[in-house]
Amino acid sequence: MGLLSIIRKIKRKEKEMRILMVGLDNSGKTTIVLKINGEDTSVISPTLGFNIKTITYQKYTLNIWDVGGQKTIRSYWRNYFEQTDGLVWVVDSSDLRRLDDCRYELHNLLKEERLSGASLLIFANKQDIQGALSPDEIAKVLNLEAMDNSRHWRIVGCSAYTGEGLLEGFDWLVQDVASRIYMLD
Amino acid sequence: MEEDDHLPKPASAAAEDAASSEDLDSALQRKRAAMIERLSNLHQSRLARKPDSESNSTSSFLSRFSDSKSSIESTLSRIRQTADPHSNPTLKSELDNVSMSIADLEKLVAENTFSLPSYEVRTCLKTITDLKQIVEQVTCEVIPRKKFSFKNKSAKKITTQNDIVSEVPIRVENNTANVESENSGFRALDSPGFRGKENEVLVKEFNRGNDEEIREFVLSDLRGCDVRLMGCVRALFVHKLIDCKVYVGPVFGSVLIEEVTNCVFVLASHQIRIHQAKGCDFYLRARSRPIIEDSNGVRFAPYCLKYDGIEKDLEEANLGEETGNWSNVDDFKWLRAVQSPNWSILPENERLDTVDISNRDPKI
Ligand SMILES: Nc1nc2c(ncn2[C@@H]2O[C@H](COP(=O)(O)OP(=O)(O)OP(=O)(O)O)[C@@H](O)[C@H]2O)c(=O)[nH]1
Ligand SMILES: [Mg+2]
Repeated sequence: MGLLSIIRKIKRKEKEMRILMVGLDNSGKTTIVLKINGEDTSVISPTLGFNIKTITYQKYTLNIWDVGGQKTIRSYWRNYFEQTDGLVWVVDSSDLRRLDDCRYELHNLLKEERLSGASLLIFANKQDIQGALSPDEIAKVLNLEAMDNSRHWRIVGCSAYTGEGLLEGFDWLVQDVASRIYMLD
Repeated sequence: MEEDDHLPKPASAAAEDAASSEDLDSALQRKRAAMIERLSNLHQSRLARKPDSESNSTSSFLSRFSDSKSSIESTLSRIRQTADPHSNPTLKSELDNVSMSIADLEKLVAENTFSLPSYEVRTCLKTITDLKQIVEQVTCEVIPRKKFSFKNKSAKKITTQNDIVSEVPIRVENNTANVESENSGFRALDSPGFRGKENEVLVKEFNRGNDEEIREFVLSDLRGCDVRLMGCVRALFVHKLIDCKVYVGPVFGSVLIEEVTNCVFVLASHQIRIHQAKGCDFYLRARSRPIIEDSNGVRFAPYCLKYDGIEKDLEEANLGEETGNWSNVDDFKWLRAVQSPNWSILPENERLDTVDISNRDPKI
């Protein structure tokens, strides 16, 4: 593929990535970030504002921005869009009633020009809950196939509670971002 | 960058892809090329931030930051030193202003984070957290917390099975069913739960004696009902309840409550989120800070539920001990240091005694 040769030349010195985590309140963003960082997840309050975690992942340094998803503070999401390399959209797969809201907010976000180059990982979280929808079902309900063709995206089922699927998701995201912005070495 | 780094024209990119079915693919390639160009520009602009200019903009940001930080600090220490804080009527609004300045500062940091070195970002965030704490302290010192509210809540009456509330028919809406029929149609999206009931006593025991899995549970479109859930559940969704009493054993996860009016909730959970609640009392035990949003007239008290084996259930769900969080409520519609007008602490003399739901007596 001819594009590779061009991508190769777009290379940064520091291997840093900026990852933005968003999604409705209660979807499990903060739990995911703490779990992946090996921290205690038993006492987490709803996020008022945002948290930043710097995590070394493989040979990269991820700056993960975990932004609160309560309705009142969704309008602040745009303050965090700039320079985002990877976007993580977290879904509570057991909150069937709010999937409409979820789809609306996601498609709204994807219209954002400043996020148009970012790889998109969708976490269908809370798979440990018995009534949770599968990633395929979530993909359908969220109408992911309707996304712009140029978007790099993937949906992964996970549970921040058991940890299942988290690494698979982040592996894909980091590889996808890396293959676009770093020299493949 | 060197000459050969220029992006190829879309046409040549398309030509390289032998298998392409021209039109669609070249459009795709054009989009890709545009995206790569954007990324490349982004990269260039990052490179272009020479150490010099970077430290310049960083230092100008930092001086702005520390200016407003010291102005906030001096306001706070002035407030602290006011001889008789209780006689100063402007204190409250001054504290409000300080809180707003801190919020602005936080926003300033958020807007600048992409151009700031990460150490500075973290330092600034730490500063903001510290400032917020000081505001909280000062507030506690100078303004006694409004513990008691004597708002008239007499409208609340105990609904028994004879009180048929029937002027307004209950609308049973099922949004998820719509999602399903419009977009997927692959399976019935029904979580277990109680839906669309009126003036009934609804009892459910989880995981007790049988090997049913701990899972999610839904309460929706209930009016005048008395709901008793015993045992452990992983997640609880509550939507559209009017004049109900809801008694719940430990929730090993989160409770999401939306659109409830004139209800009493007795809940123990890791996380509790309350949206659009009006005139409700919450008796809570929570591992984290409960939050409210778009709510008013809500009052809080400590958990007070009993049934056979509740201690063991609470213990297993890590909710065995009182955390005091029932009074640490965050109102997302009131992000200031002073007490939100939307919630209050339920006065002790108005609180329920311990509620025992062991027997199935329809009246408690
Ligand atoms: N069972 C189960 N519960 C989960 C899982 N992930 C998160 N939770 C629970 O869901 C609730 C919400 O998690 P948070 O991480 O606070 O959600 P958030 O997306 O950060 O919410 P905001 O900060 O308000 O945007 C908590 O009670 C978590 O314990 C999961 O995979 N399984
Ligand atoms: Mg959070």
